Amino acid sequence: MELIGLSAAEVLTVLGGFAAAVTALYLLKLRRRQVEVPFIHLWEEVLAQKQTTRLFSALKRIFSWLLALAVVALLALAMGDPRQAGARAEGRTTVVLVDTSASMQATDVAPDRLGRARVEIERLIEGLGGDDRMLVASMDAATVPLSPLTSEPRILRDALARLTPTDLAADLGRGLRFAHDVLRDQPQPRVIVVSDGVLGEPGEAAARLREAGAALDWIRVGEGGDNIAITAFSVRRYPLDVSRSEVLVELWNPGEEALSVELTLLGDGEPIDLSRLRVGGGERLRRFFTDVSGADRTLEARVRLEGDARDVLPADDRAYARLPERRRARVQAVTTGNLYLSAALLLDEYLDVVEVAPAAYPAEGEFDVTIFDGWVPPEPPRTPAIYLEPRPPEGTRGPFVVTGTVPRPFFDRLERDHPILAFTALGDVNVAEALAVELEPGDRVLGGDTRAPLLVTGSRAGHRIVALLFDVRRSDLPLRVAWPLLLLNSIDYFTTQDAGYLSSVETGEPWRIPVPAGVEEATLVTPSGERRTVPVADGRAVCTGTRAGFYRVIAGDADDVFAANLGPSEEAIVAPRDRLELGGEAAGPPVIGAAGVRTELWMLVVCAALVLLLVEWWTYHRRLTV
Amino acid sequence: MLDWLRARRAPKARPRGGADDALFDEEFQRRLEVLALVSRRLANGRTRAERRSQKTGSGIEFADHREYAPGDDFRHLDWNLYARTGRLLLRLFEEEEDLSVYLLLDVSRSMGFGAPHPKLRYAKQLTAALAYIALANLDRVSIVTFCDGVSRRLAPTRGKNTIFKVFRFLGELAPDGRTGTAEAMKTFVAQHRRRGVAILISDLYDPAGFEGGINVLRYHKFEPYVIQVYDPVEVHPPLHGDVRLVDDETGEAREVTITPRVLERYAAAHAAYRARIDDFCTQKHVPHQAISTEVPFDRAILDILRAGGLLT
Repeated sequence: MELIGLSAAEVLTVLGGFAAAVTALYLLKLRRRQVEVPFIHLWEEVLAQKQTTRLFSALKRIFSWLLALAVVALLALAMGDPRQAGARAEGRTTVVLVDTSASMQATDVAPDRLGRARVEIERLIEGLGGDDRMLVASMDAATVPLSPLTSEPRILRDALARLTPTDLAADLGRGLRFAHDVLRDQPQPRVIVVSDGVLGEPGEAAARLREAGAALDWIRVGEGGDNIAITAFSVRRYPLDVSRSEVLVELWNPGEEALSVELTLLGDGEPIDLSRLRVGGGERLRRFFTDVSGADRTLEARVRLEGDARDVLPADDRAYARLPERRRARVQAVTTGNLYLSAALLLDEYLDVVEVAPAAYPAEGEFDVTIFDGWVPPEPPRTPAIYLEPRPPEGTRGPFVVTGTVPRPFFDRLERDHPILAFTALGDVNVAEALAVELEPGDRVLGGDTRAPLLVTGSRAGHRIVALLFDVRRSDLPLRVAWPLLLLNSIDYFTTQDAGYLSSVETGEPWRIPVPAGVEEATLVTPSGERRTVPVADGRAVCTGTRAGFYRVIAGDADDVFAANLGPSEEAIVAPRDRLELGGEAAGPPVIGAAGVRTELWMLVVCAALVLLLVEWWTYHRRLTV
Repeated sequence: MLDWLRARRAPKARPRGGADDALFDEEFQRRLEVLALVSRRLANGRTRAERRSQKTGSGIEFADHREYAPGDDFRHLDWNLYARTGRLLLRLFEEEEDLSVYLLLDVSRSMGFGAPHPKLRYAKQLTAALAYIALANLDRVSIVTFCDGVSRRLAPTRGKNTIFKVFRFLGELAPDGRTGTAEAMKTFVAQHRRRGVAILISDLYDPAGFEGGINVLRYHKFEPYVIQVYDPVEVHPPLHGDVRLVDDETGEAREVTITPRVLERYAAAHAAYRARIDDFCTQKHVPHQAISTEVPFDRAILDILRAGGLLT
């Protein structure tokens, strides 16, 4: 027996103090109530008989005093919170890592795997001994403790109630490192992983836990079933027809049996395409949807199994994408007349072109791009600019210092990955003559030969420029498809910040969402409607999320939407693992203590004190101790 | 331990009766009239009033002769006898006198005990009723109150119309003093040479013994009649727990823990005391009645009259 509340000395102090007080109270002469009677002599005979019982009365008073002392002693002992020494030594320290990754949303067991995990952990809590302590933590891409190390069942059950599934992949290594840190120097360490086994690599943490003497157990949840998953979903607008898009969808059937599926595309919430596909066992099926129209802001893909088959994991049956913003670009063309230029600009209906003669430059209004055709303004424009043969007149400093001309240059070298050159073929373009120029630091040659650059990008006066260093009318470039593509790619290069636009982000990863300049913080609205304030750094709101869907970022007057999807992982594998290797050994189910081993003796001691108090009251009222 | 809690639940101290409000109201007087009528029926055929006394006086019935002594009234000389014998003899006549009724009322502090009304209130009602009956029968009524001596006295009075005088006298009485029956009776007999019926109304809680006072009355040729008044609360006091009993006359105190068994023993002691009084009175041929205050006073009076020996 040992005391884990008050120490033995403190218990004795309390006992001594209260026992002395009780004794003093018993030693006090009983203050009797005074009653007047008409003839005291009638009581004399009665009192004479009572004299004979005085000794017995004194003994009864001693009995009452002993009862009171016993009550005090029991209460003092209860304050010491006595425990059996043996039971104390058996106290275990358990960290329960609950897998809350996407696969735990599978409904192959009722109500779902996470619900089953709660039931299993509830059994663990009921089996806790009086000195056992437990910590419950959720484990997905991160590990978050939901309770302290405690033996209090109510706190642990509250932690269970806070378990929520996420659209993330589990990181077992991180979870085990967390458990290792928690269990350091703790008695009887034990880690219990509650999962379907789709957890990633445990890393070295499992081995370190084994070396520290910790038991590593695994409670397996899930039974398996059919599942079809959307593992990739991407969308982009066509450069020459931004009203239409091209969509990539990748479906994965992680099972062994082929599945018939129905794939639905929704644009701005309305169905725009429906396909029926058959995906073989283990097959990853990629499907392109071309010329997709009807979607302006958002695109969503949904997949479901046909017939009676049941998809046990709905979390990976949906994917979301945000379409690039589509708006008209205002273009100012400063030219003395160039049919090829005008014709190329007509190809894009989303361009708002204003042609102006050099003498009338600048035209009224705000423009996104300015094209200078064979003319250079005396001052650099305040917009991005496309220069066609930028030969400056005398006394004017153009974007380049022209040192001469180069006859018959070719596009021998091309930066084919640059977005300006996308879908273009310039290798056999014939050019009569090109300007020889001095490049400035930061300029990038996208095409040309060893003698002279022909296509250059750079920055002047804080604005980006694209320069074609020859007169297109003295080449066969206008006769090629590459000419309008080159021109429109350049305009897109200026009007679209990110040519490699990401239609969605991955859950669990840090997100950096562009926001208007001058904003210091933004509000993130999750798919469930939860709002939280996120910081802004370098003009981007920095945030992350655990659920797939459409998120909103509200920053100042701007209200933008973006999509988040479950990243590539094995979460779609719904068949639970048969074996979980942790630290070189297979983890097995834990040995759960028998229910009812929780013995807190202080409760029994208090009950005994109450019983004695009842005895004391009963003996008093039955006149046994008075 | 916890005695302070228990003390709060203990019964109150001795029961004390309230004031004598409306003690002799119209209802009381109406019941007195009824008692007077009943008493006359019970005394049918008996000549209670106007009976001849043993003394000679101014009556018309001849009784005897005696020798003349200087100072005697010449009108009572029997001249015919003087003529025959030559001796001066006086003619003596039997004197007709009224019955004297003395109501001896105990007003000691113990008579203030009782609930809801004190015993003294009940005793006053008994006294008033007996006085009214006596006055209605043309007796001389005197009321004497006592504790350890004679306290107050109402001068002998006659006639029903004096009953209000009796009421006023009784209404002014309040319990006080210790009980000393023997001493009080000694004073009484010394002050009242005229013998008669002495009705002793008391609880007889006399530390020196109730016998002394009764014997004094007997020895001095009074006709004692003892009425013992007690309250039910005295027999079964509503007590429990640890108490300190204090005699409200003597101040003597005893500490006792009241239990049901103690209460039983006390009730037995009280019954034994009443039995002792009864035995004594029977042995001495003294009429006696023990009356509980829970009995209506008019019913108690009828019991007294039926028992006989009083006012006959």
